[in-house]
Parts: sequence; structure tokens; C-alpha cells
Amino acid sequence: MNTSLTARMPYPVMAFIPTLNRRQQTLLLMAMAAVVVGVMIAAGILLDNDRIATHFDQRNLAPSWNHLFGTDWLGRDMFTRTAKGLTVSIGIGMIASLASVVIAMILGLASATLGKTVDSAVSWLVDLFLGVPHLVALILIAFVMGGGAKGVIVGVACTHWPSLTRLIRAEVLQIRFSEYVHVSKHMGRSRVFIAVRHVMPHLAPQFLVGILLLFPHAILHEASITFLGFGLSPHQPAIGVILSESMKYLATGMWWLAFFPGLSLLVIVRSMDIIGDHLRQLTDPHSAHE
Amino acid sequence: MNMLRQIRVLVLMIVIACLVLPGFQAEGMALAQRDELILAISGEPDGGFDPTNGWGRYGSPLFQSTLFKRDRTMTIVNDLARDYSVSPDGLTWTVTLRQDVLFSDKVPLTAVDVVYTYETTLKSSSVVDLSVMKSVKAMDDHTVKFVLNYPQSTFINILTNTGIVPKHAHGADYSQRPLGSGPFVFIQWDKGQQLIVQANPYYYGEKPFFKKITFLYLTEEAAYAAARAGQVDIAAIIPMFASHPVSGMRLEAIDSVDNRGIMFPCVLPEATGTHDTPVGNSVTADVAIRKAVNLAVDRKALVDGVLNGYGSPAYTACDTLPWWNPDTVIDDGNLSQARDVLAAGGWKDTDGDGILEKSVVDASFLLLYPSGDQIRQSLAIAVSDRVKPLGIEIRIEGKSWDDIRTLMHAHAVLFGWGSHDPLEMYNLYNSKTMGRDYYNAGYYLNPQVNGYMEKAMGSASEKEAWEYWKKAQWDGQTGCSFKGDAPWAWLVNIKHIYLVRDDLSIGAQKIHPHGHGWPLTDNIEEWCWKPARKGA
Repeated sequence: MNTSLTARMPYPVMAFIPTLNRRQQTLLLMAMAAVVVGVMIAAGILLDNDRIATHFDQRNLAPSWNHLFGTDWLGRDMFTRTAKGLTVSIGIGMIASLASVVIAMILGLASATLGKTVDSAVSWLVDLFLGVPHLVALILIAFVMGGGAKGVIVGVACTHWPSLTRLIRAEVLQIRFSEYVHVSKHMGRSRVFIAVRHVMPHLAPQFLVGILLLFPHAILHEASITFLGFGLSPHQPAIGVILSESMKYLATGMWWLAFFPGLSLLVIVRSMDIIGDHLRQLTDPHSAHE
Repeated sequence: MNMLRQIRVLVLMIVIACLVLPGFQAEGMALAQRDELILAISGEPDGGFDPTNGWGRYGSPLFQSTLFKRDRTMTIVNDLARDYSVSPDGLTWTVTLRQDVLFSDKVPLTAVDVVYTYETTLKSSSVVDLSVMKSVKAMDDHTVKFVLNYPQSTFINILTNTGIVPKHAHGADYSQRPLGSGPFVFIQWDKGQQLIVQANPYYYGEKPFFKKITFLYLTEEAAYAAARAGQVDIAAIIPMFASHPVSGMRLEAIDSVDNRGIMFPCVLPEATGTHDTPVGNSVTADVAIRKAVNLAVDRKALVDGVLNGYGSPAYTACDTLPWWNPDTVIDDGNLSQARDVLAAGGWKDTDGDGILEKSVVDASFLLLYPSGDQIRQSLAIAVSDRVKPLGIEIRIEGKSWDDIRTLMHAHAVLFGWGSHDPLEMYNLYNSKTMGRDYYNAGYYLNPQVNGYMEKAMGSASEKEAWEYWKKAQWDGQTGCSFKGDAPWAWLVNIKHIYLVRDDLSIGAQKIHPHGHGWPLTDNIEEWCWKPARKGA
């Protein structure tokens, strides 16, 4: 009994709280992940800018209580830089994934409701974008936009909609053939009316979960193209910048420059992933009652 | 069974040891007599190795030789030339050549090649500015006559920097496969990876000890890692690696005029339409702002903090060179004096936002730096943090050189210069070079400074010219240094740091110009193993 319960648990750690049912566990996990993200954002906003000013007397310090993540070659506190960097990354990720989902929503709806020509055009577009490796397209777009936050946001938004578009298109097709849509059609409602009033509300979960699941992608891609030098300006406290410059110092044994920021990025991304995943479980009719 | 297996493994290990150990020994012996070097000192030229296109301006052209060169004390001495004379009006320069010089394909080098080199350079639109030269003619096989448009004392530097190319072998792919009369012969160049050269058997000067040299083009981190792994004999490294010694190698920190400083646009923004790119900046056009930044910056702290002590404070573009005026040194790191200068200039924080204002202008400007350059980035960040308490906001932004080119007339830029030729100073501060290339990007203009520099250019001798160069920097009243108009805030001179194999002697180096790496090769003929090693 007990073992089967553990096996069904989303995370074994939850076995320590056996009194909670699955839904409560899921909610608790989501809350914990949200707290982690929230704390990071709060830290990024609240921490004093003076801690990332140059302090030549505190250069290259290993982690200590005073500087949790150590300091860099200009004496800047790495914890503050990491928190601020992650906040910038989260902001960029939020805007980029929102834009991406909106594009996916519009194209998915259009392709499923506006007839064959539009459908094949959208499918062609989806195939086109899926055919080019993400990162290559991202670098191209960011480069053309002249780098900076704008380039990254546009780049991520333009490259992450295709798979979600497919999903939404399939969903819409399914709904279109349901009985109440047929009835509505026979009663003389226009295509747009049906799309907006009957189909859209069903897509709300996809929309929400789409944002949350795209979000880790967006952050990681922001970090990676900044790491490669096509994204944010090198002095901005972005996580990709921090990781990229830390590579220079690894040879001198300053491991903390890469370790803690990398770990923080991992934790944030995983937290967002957990939230998105569990939200899907809760809102998806197939698993919501488990 | 198990025992048998252990014995087998043991035997195998012994056999392997027997095979491998003699190899190590042989390698050790080979090292002692080795006449090859592997260097990781960067400095790969984008445009190849054609002197008529600017190759060899910093350091030795390696494959070619020049008419003159500078010795350790920066005095001009003959190389290809045997002698030279200048007419009293300073317009005609006559140079006689050595007669025993062969190119590496055994064809003699004559006046025809010299004329060809200079005529080609004049026609090429390269970084080498030869507009002063009216004509160049071969009087006979070994005499060349240069006629100038106007007297120019720095012309000798052009003769010192331009490698002579062979007329008979100067084709379209010359820059990819150079041939000349220098100490080394080109063998192979794998772009972005390595350059292999061999000693020139027909070289007329002192024959280099090393017969073959491989230049590896590695990033700074990779060069350091290669040095640690014992794979290179010399590695150019950045200051942050200097505090981590590598066994078997010593650290050579060589003085340089490779400087870094902030260029300020010195004019007010103009009405649009007159230029393709924006010109002028209403904040940095105010001399009080420029002086305050100059005064507030603690150059010593920058040297210690950013360069790990491997550098020196910079006050002009030519510190410690013979034409430098030592009166330009200032007592910096002085925030209270900087505040006084700002107050006297009319800058006040009227709205209490921590940033000064003058009429409607906020004391806030953009400072650009090339985004791949870690030292310039650090300097920009440090200066920006330093002047913040004064109420000056410096926003920094890393850009590509292409972007900087279009923005540099309207925003401050963290540039680096440093040359053995005073012509560079002329170009940086002269009204004629406003907006040309990267020179005088800030449109600085002071007729007095212009006048001194013209006099320096027109001087008959280098020594006479030096006095005018010094006056252009500061004559007691005005000048292009901090005490005058402060069009720049020079920050630091960077020492060039190399890890050099303990028993390798790289001769006595002179002050290095701009460019970390290649200038080291200037005296490559002198390099050898230290005596103890040579005898081994």
C-alpha cells in the first residue's frame, strides 16, 4: 500500500507527508517552487545596487557569510549579481514566452477555423520554423535586431511558437467537430463568433501552461545566446553574461563564479518547470481528478 | 588464476614502461638542443602580411625588412639603408641602400623595390597615411629619393615602419603568401590557428638562433592553459592570470605605451543633416565635466584593481616617450577638487535626484567600449562607479567596433592607442583628422595646439620636433592634456605580460607600442636559449 503510494507520488520527497492527497501535494510543490522564484525576484529587486559596484579591496573572494556566492574580479558581490541577473532573465523570459504563446494562439486558431488555404499556409510556416534549429534562428534574429534585450525577446518569441501552434490547432480541430459547435453553426453563427465564444475558452489551460512551460526555454535561450555573445551587453547583470565571463576565470580556480549562478539558473528553471507541469495536471481534464 | 592475472598485468606494465620511458628521455634531450619555438602570443593580422596594407606597423614585419629601425633606446638606426640625408628645406629625403641584400628567393633587393613599395602603399587605401609624399624615385640601383609635399619630421617613422616588398613577386595573393628580405621566411598560415615560419638563409643581418617558429593563435585562456600544459615556449596572458605562476616559466612584464583612455566628444551636438553619423555631446562638450572625470579617477587604483598592478597611470597618449611632457602628470583621485571644478562650471543638483544639472542638461552620458574586451569593460565599470558620487552618471554599453564607428562622434568611447610615432598624437588632436577613421573622433579643436603640432611636423630634426610636441601637450597656458582642454581622460598604460620558458632569453625589449603580443617579436633575431642551456 505504502510503496504503491510512493510510486504514484510525483516526487518521492512528498512521501514524508503521507496525509496529503495527490492534489494537495501538487499544490504544495507548486507553492514551494513559486516561493523560490518569488524570493529570487524579490532579492533581485530589493538588493542594494551598491553591492554590485566595484570594490577593489574585495576582489576575487571565495564564498563566505558576507558574500554568499563570493565576489568577482571587480569586487562585485556575486549573489547580488546572480539575483539581479536572474530577475532580468525572468523578465525577458516572461515577455518572450507570452509573446510566443499569443502568436501560437492566433495562428493555431486561424489555421483550424479559417479554411484549408490558411491551414496549409500555417502548417508550412510551422514546418519551416521547426526545420531550422532553434539556436541558429535565434542567433540570426538577435543579430539582425542588433543584440540587446530587444533582440533576445523578439528572437525567443519568433522561434518558440511552432510546436504550441500545432498543439492548439489539434485542440481546436477537435472542438470544431463537437456537437455544440455544429449546433451553433447551424443556428447561423459566424466563424469568428464560434472561434471567440466557443473555442477560445477551451484553450485557456493550454495558454497558461504554454506560458509556464515555454518560460524555462526562454530563460535558457536568453542565457545561451548571451553566453555566445549575441544577446545582452556584457556589463548587464544577466545570467548568460555571468556564466560566459566566468569561463575566463575557471583556469585560475575561481569556481564560484560559474557554480552558484549556474546552480541558481538550474533551480529557477526547474521550479518554473514544476509549476507548469503541475498546473497542466490540475487543469487537464484527463488528470485533474486523479 | 587470479594470481596469474595479476602477474600478467604487472608484466604488461613493465613492458609499457620500458617502451615509454626512453621516449621521455629522448624528448628531454631534444628539448635541450631544440632550435624551434612555439609561441602563443596572438596578433594575427586580419588583412594578411602585406606591408603596403599596413602589416608590421607594430613590431617587426618578420618576413620583410625596413629601411630604418629603432634600437633599444628608441634611436633610429639603419636597417636596409646605409645612410640618409634631408635637404635644408626638409622636402627631399635621399636614402642610400645596402648592396648585399637578397630576397628569400635570392633576387637582389634594389631601389626599384623600394620605389614600388612606397608607390603601392600610397595608392592603397590602407591605414598607412602617405599623403605627405609627393613622389619617390630611384636615382640608381641603390639610391632612393623621396619628395614631400610639405616638410614632415615624422616621415622617418614611415620609413621605419614600412617593410619593403619585392616588385617581381608582389601579386594579388601576396598578403597570404608573403616573401621578403626579413629574418624569417613564410611557410604556412592556417587562418585562426597557426603561422609557421623558418629562418631566412639569405638574411643579411644577424642570423636568428631559432630555425623554425610556430605562432599559435589561441584565446587568452587557451594560451594560459597551453603554457600550464608545457606546450608553448611563450604565452601572452592577461593580468588576471599573472598571479598564478606556472612552473618552468617566468613572468615577463614589459613596459608599454599601450594605453587606455576615455575619448570625449568636445563639441555641442550639431543640427542634423551635415553628417552621416551624429556628432557632438552636450554633456562632454563642457570642459568642467571632462576635467572632473580626469580628477576623480584614481589611476593607481585602476592599475592595481583592474590590471593586478601590471601597468602604470596614463596622462597622455605618449607617456615616457621622448616627446612626452612630464608636466602633464596630475594629482588624481581627488573627489573634492573634482566637485569644486563642477561647481565652478555651473553644475548643480537642483532636483535632488543625485545627478547634477546645468540649465536643462543632466550630467549623464554614454560610455562605449568594445564588448569583447574584458579590460576595457572593467575600466569602464570602475570609472562609472567612481564618478557616481560626484553626481555624474556614466551609462556604459558594450558594442561591436562597427557600432562604435557610427556612435563615437556623439558618445564617449574607451579607446586604446600607443605608438612609437608622434604622428599618432598629431592625428588624435588635430583638426584635420576630425572624424577620420578613429582619429580625433571627438572633434577636438584648439588652434594653439594645432599650431605647435604643425611646427613639430615641419621641424628639421626629430629633437627639435620633440619640444613642439611637448608644448602641444601643455605650454603653461593651454594644451591637449588634462591641464589644458582635457579632451581625453587617459587612464592606464598596460604592461604586456608574457609567460616565457625559464631558459629562453628574449633579449632586451624596448617599450612596447599598442598591441599585446606581436611587438614582442621586434628583436626576434636576438632570442636564444640562456647560456647554461646552450651548452647542454
